[in-house]
Amino acid sequence: MDTRTVLTIAGMAAVTYLIRSLPQLVLGDRRIPTGLDRYLRYLAHALIAAVIAVSLFLARGRIETEAAPARAAALAAAIVVAAWSGRPVLGMVAGAAVVAAFAA
Amino acid sequence: MASVPPTPSARAPFRTGAAAAVPIWLAFVPTSFALGLAARAYGLGLGEVLLMSAFVYAGPAQFAALEPLASAKPAAQVILTTLLINLRFAVMSAAIAPYFRGVGRTRRLLAAHVLSASSFVLPFAHFQRQGALPAEGGARADEGRRNLDYYLGIGLTSFVVWVVGSGAGYLAALTVPAAFGEALRFLLPGYFASLLTIELRRGPAMGVAAASFLAALPAAHLWGDWGWLGSAVAIGTAALLAERWIRARS
Repeated sequence: MDTRTVLTIAGMAAVTYLIRSLPQLVLGDRRIPTGLDRYLRYLAHALIAAVIAVSLFLARGRIETEAAPARAAALAAAIVVAAWSGRPVLGMVAGAAVVAAFAA
Repeated sequence: MASVPPTPSARAPFRTGAAAAVPIWLAFVPTSFALGLAARAYGLGLGEVLLMSAFVYAGPAQFAALEPLASAKPAAQVILTTLLINLRFAVMSAAIAPYFRGVGRTRRLLAAHVLSASSFVLPFAHFQRQGALPAEGGARADEGRRNLDYYLGIGLTSFVVWVVGSGAGYLAALTVPAAFGEALRFLLPGYFASLLTIELRRGPAMGVAAASFLAALPAAHLWGDWGWLGSAVAIGTAALLAERWIRARS
């Protein structure tokens, strides 16, 4: 295993565990304020959407123009199938099938 | 508030929780399998995938880390992204904590590791239906322990399914022809997009996601990897401020 990767995973594990466990220690029976709850949800949604854009269309700081049409079509297919079926895995598979069809 | 009916043995709540978790296992199998497939496509090792699944145990953050880990992006960026994506666990942990009243701190801290969106929603809804909030002062600590056992029945078994599933997906990817590599790399954004579509079909959060999606590429072009991260945080913050402004005016 690559040491750098393992150390990064250890860092990811540490922050995730802190997030999960701190409320059990610090907050006790008190609830997180509603405003903070909503802010954290907005942040998570914004971040995940940004990750989608970057991982689909960007490689080493440049937009991958050649692969972009196939990936955009796959993204549209994934969104439509997920909205129709209500199942994220089905949407994901539909999008991957579109990419495979473009590559064939 | 009504109490939880007495259980025949100390192990019963765990088994009841495990039985209730079957739909989560069914949902986790394809998703963790896809994570293993995608991790292989990004060039990670089996040990690294298993390590991440066992110690991070957070699907969206794990998917999001694949590309930066594969391209040796700065650790600080990966860890910050993980932190921000997983902040929602703090809300879940805080919401479920009162149901474990009376349980020792060590058990609660160990149990916290298997908290996921699914293993939160199911027991939380169950506790609310049952009116299972233990009384203050430790007088009904048994209820807290039963609740924790029920939660562990869901959380621990789902955790095992997740770790095994990601390993199985990785091993299955070894047999996938190279021509399907491009399709495998779509699994990460495809999973996220599908998840967001289902979660945000209603409400203003869909606008937040769309704005962040559109801003990410120019921000990354202008300011590199920190650019898209910064634009996402800015848009999330702006959404909350806009919501408050609209509420204040109405």
